[in-house]
Amino acid sequence: MLISPELILAIFGMLVLVVDLIGRARTREWLPWVTVLGFVLAFAATLYIWGSNASIFAGMYSVDMFSLFFKLLATIAGTMIVLVSIDYLRGRTTRQGEFFSIFTFSILAMTMMASSASLLMIYLSIEFLSYTSYLLTGFLREDKKSNEAALKYFLYGAITSAVMLYGLSLLYGVSGSLNLTDIATAFANTVDPSVRTVALVAPALVLAGLGFKISLVPFHQWAPDAYEGAPTPVTAFLSVGPKAVGFAILLRVALTTLPIYQASWIPLLAVISIITMTLGNLVALRQTNIKRLLAYSSIAQAGYMLIGLVGVNLTGNSPFSGLNGVLIYLFAYLFTNLGAFICVIAIENATGAVNIADYAGLVRRAPFVAALFIIFFLSLAGIPPTAGFIGKFFVFGAALREGFLTLAAIGVINSIISVFYYFAVIRAAFFLDAKDPSPIRITPLVTAMLTVTAAMVLLIAVYPQPLFNLAAWSMGMFGVVK
Amino acid sequence: MSLLVFYLFAAIAVLAALGMVVLRNPVHSALSLALVFVSLAAMYVLLSAPFIAVAQVMIYAGAILILFVFVIMLLSPGTDQGVGALKAQRGLAILFGAALLVLLIAVLGGAVLPPTRGTFTPEAIAAEGDTQAVGALLFTNFLLPFEITSILLLVAIVGVIVLAKKRQSISKQ
Amino acid sequence: MDPLALVIIEALIKSIVVIIVLLTGFAYLTLMERMVVARIQVRVGPNRVGRVFGIAALQPIADAIKMIFKEDFIPANADKLIYVLAPGIAVGTALLAWAVIPLNPPLTIFGYTINFEIANVNVAVLYLLAIGSLSIYGIVLGGWSANNKYSLLGALRSTAQMVSYEVSLGLSLVGVLMVSGTLSLTQIVQQQSMIWNVVWQPLGFVIYLVCALAEINRVPFDLPEAETELVAGYQTEYSSLKFALFYMAEYINMLTISAIASTVFLGGYQGPFGILPGVHWLLIKMLIFIFIFMWIRGTLPRFRYDQLMRFGWQVLLPLALANTFVTAVVLVLLGK
Repeated sequence: MLISPELILAIFGMLVLVVDLIGRARTREWLPWVTVLGFVLAFAATLYIWGSNASIFAGMYSVDMFSLFFKLLATIAGTMIVLVSIDYLRGRTTRQGEFFSIFTFSILAMTMMASSASLLMIYLSIEFLSYTSYLLTGFLREDKKSNEAALKYFLYGAITSAVMLYGLSLLYGVSGSLNLTDIATAFANTVDPSVRTVALVAPALVLAGLGFKISLVPFHQWAPDAYEGAPTPVTAFLSVGPKAVGFAILLRVALTTLPIYQASWIPLLAVISIITMTLGNLVALRQTNIKRLLAYSSIAQAGYMLIGLVGVNLTGNSPFSGLNGVLIYLFAYLFTNLGAFICVIAIENATGAVNIADYAGLVRRAPFVAALFIIFFLSLAGIPPTAGFIGKFFVFGAALREGFLTLAAIGVINSIISVFYYFAVIRAAFFLDAKDPSPIRITPLVTAMLTVTAAMVLLIAVYPQPLFNLAAWSMGMFGVVK
Repeated sequence: MSLLVFYLFAAIAVLAALGMVVLRNPVHSALSLALVFVSLAAMYVLLSAPFIAVAQVMIYAGAILILFVFVIMLLSPGTDQGVGALKAQRGLAILFGAALLVLLIAVLGGAVLPPTRGTFTPEAIAAEGDTQAVGALLFTNFLLPFEITSILLLVAIVGVIVLAKKRQSISKQ
Repeated sequence: MDPLALVIIEALIKSIVVIIVLLTGFAYLTLMERMVVARIQVRVGPNRVGRVFGIAALQPIADAIKMIFKEDFIPANADKLIYVLAPGIAVGTALLAWAVIPLNPPLTIFGYTINFEIANVNVAVLYLLAIGSLSIYGIVLGGWSANNKYSLLGALRSTAQMVSYEVSLGLSLVGVLMVSGTLSLTQIVQQQSMIWNVVWQPLGFVIYLVCALAEINRVPFDLPEAETELVAGYQTEYSSLKFALFYMAEYINMLTISAIASTVFLGGYQGPFGILPGVHWLLIKMLIFIFIFMWIRGTLPRFRYDQLMRFGWQVLLPLALANTFVTAVVLVLLGK
């Protein structure tokens, strides 16, 4: 049962709808827990098929370790986001059943993106994830900002997906195949200059669609508005989910289909990485809304991750293969960024505040949250002893190994810039006086999730070996590049 | 003969596509799009795929676009004269758009794609029947995308209901 | 002679014949409708112009002449191009459907076989559905371009109605397609030489008739032109020949759906014992349907808009789906 995680998610997505339809008010209380059960089962199913390396559905769908890594990531993210959205959604929407159902389907779309090995599946799963994301973003109908966010997200997504589709059609046209490995073979066996030209341009067009999911500059403009307007748990999801699987497809296409053109796409990605980091960090300095700040922060983080792909080199036994850096970074980023957003959710649940100015005196009002903010921001900035440091260490290390000194240097400078705005939040929380000093009550569920994420961020830093192994296993199926 | 028909419909399709973008009145744009769909259908016929051609007309021109027209008429927006904020960007947009166009034409214009023949040549389709070929492929090689599309449509329906159905006040809960 | 040229000439001749027959047929349908409805309402109906056996045989011609000489009026703020185009689209799509309907079994004269359909397309059923879905454009554009609120309301209603009923219409035919295993109307007719499809697909037949009535906006589904609420719906601003074209499209559509219903469900040109050439059987079946439609018009009141939508989505669609499902299951069980 190689597609059992997907089947479980699809079944639970529909089950939630049915339970919501026929259940009474009391049964509906269980909807989030049904959803969580689905994610846990899908996680278990992923572990059950751990180690498989199969290509199914006429080569369209690759169930390999690389995809399983992202399926683990997707189900973990899904579980945590459902758990923190229970308190958030209460009183904000009456349509919890639809919310959890659509959310389950968006996790399904993520697992499918991770396994897509054909242009058709890539396009279909990206669109699937996009539609569910638009819906989740605009889910709070009464909220004008949520509507605006969804509309901007949708318009931007529609355009980039059209550009991507044009690129995909060119790829199909020159190679005569939808299958990623077949396309690679077609490219390797050709001396036709026209094919080579198209093979350089088409992936750049595809990058528009992927860059939109990953929020790379210049396809990032939707991110701040969508992040600000979306329900905060959805924002947390958008900042990790689509980004992670966007990277999954980017890595898969770059490393299985286009390795022979590596010399051409590396400069392109390097430039995109530099402008993404720099723009994200510089604009983040001026933000006053915590959700917008984290939006620009997550744009910058995408830039750091891209360094890993620029520095990719799968030959030899170096611990810095670039690819493992991206995977480790993604895993660390998952817990860090989710943690930061759960802090935001905790405050927003109790006070409704999302401005940095409202965080003044947070240390007295909610000392636990304020303390955890420090951990998550240290990790986002890449300062030891946190998970973020491990991630940055491996991507910068790969860039250095490949001799991209300038790129690595710009990455480090950017990390230093990022410290300023992260610490602006911490300064408000610790050194400014609160207007309203009443303590903020954090619900037990949110406290539990905060504890889990913070523990993971620290655990990855002090005992990273399992994560290294996980990354090493997951990249095993990629051939030697270079 | 078939080449002549191809050029005829290619010209119609390109002109109509341009019209769709350039025309100011949204209903005119939608009609141009319908024309694009119909000329594409004609090309599918030339490629000996009448099933796809008819499906194209039925689904795109007959169902999807009609809904577009419905929405356009329901909202009846005036002709688009450009909003303030967008006007300032128009120059830049034209500049960058033209640059991208020139770039794509320069790079792709000279490319001649390899004349590969796939499995479904006109002879193969004539022997099997194009409807049968599409059906068989949908339920063998393309089973997964087919099923996923059905789930995607389910999600879309749920989403539309969430977004469109009359608001219930939260206090009722 | 070049075989391709021969094919084209043959198709041209057939098209011209079919169009002439349809246009005359339309004219006399209006007469028939006036008379049938008159009898239902215990009136006499038209009986003056060119009286033959108590029937006003020249009435349609008089009507046509009157229509042509009316003032052709275009409202000041109309979208002129589309306003002129819309009736043409309506008639064009109505006529196009006839390209694939087999009228008679093939005949061989002087060693040359003539097929009595203009084009034997192997996706004929889908073609009919596609043309049917395009026919909405005529109404919608006509209603929109006139720049009149009643026209627009009529156009909006008809869009919603036709799009809704199109779904069930398509599904009602799927059952037949599964039974016969082909999309070609020629083959579907040939397969019905012994048993008509209506025997296997009674529910599909009923659903088809209801949906088809809605598709051509006839009573009780004539909301787009409900005269008591919308003056004349999408046709409000049309006059003279353009109005006549809409009128024509409506009646040709009526002929079309009777022809499709006869062909798909009632064996088309197949008649018992080989008496009478095939086309007569088709005409007889069509006339029966047309009479039923007129009968319905004479007796049933109009649906309310919400009833119409609820009936379409909550009754017809589930029924059509169930019909498809049951047909599929039975076919699998029979091992077909």
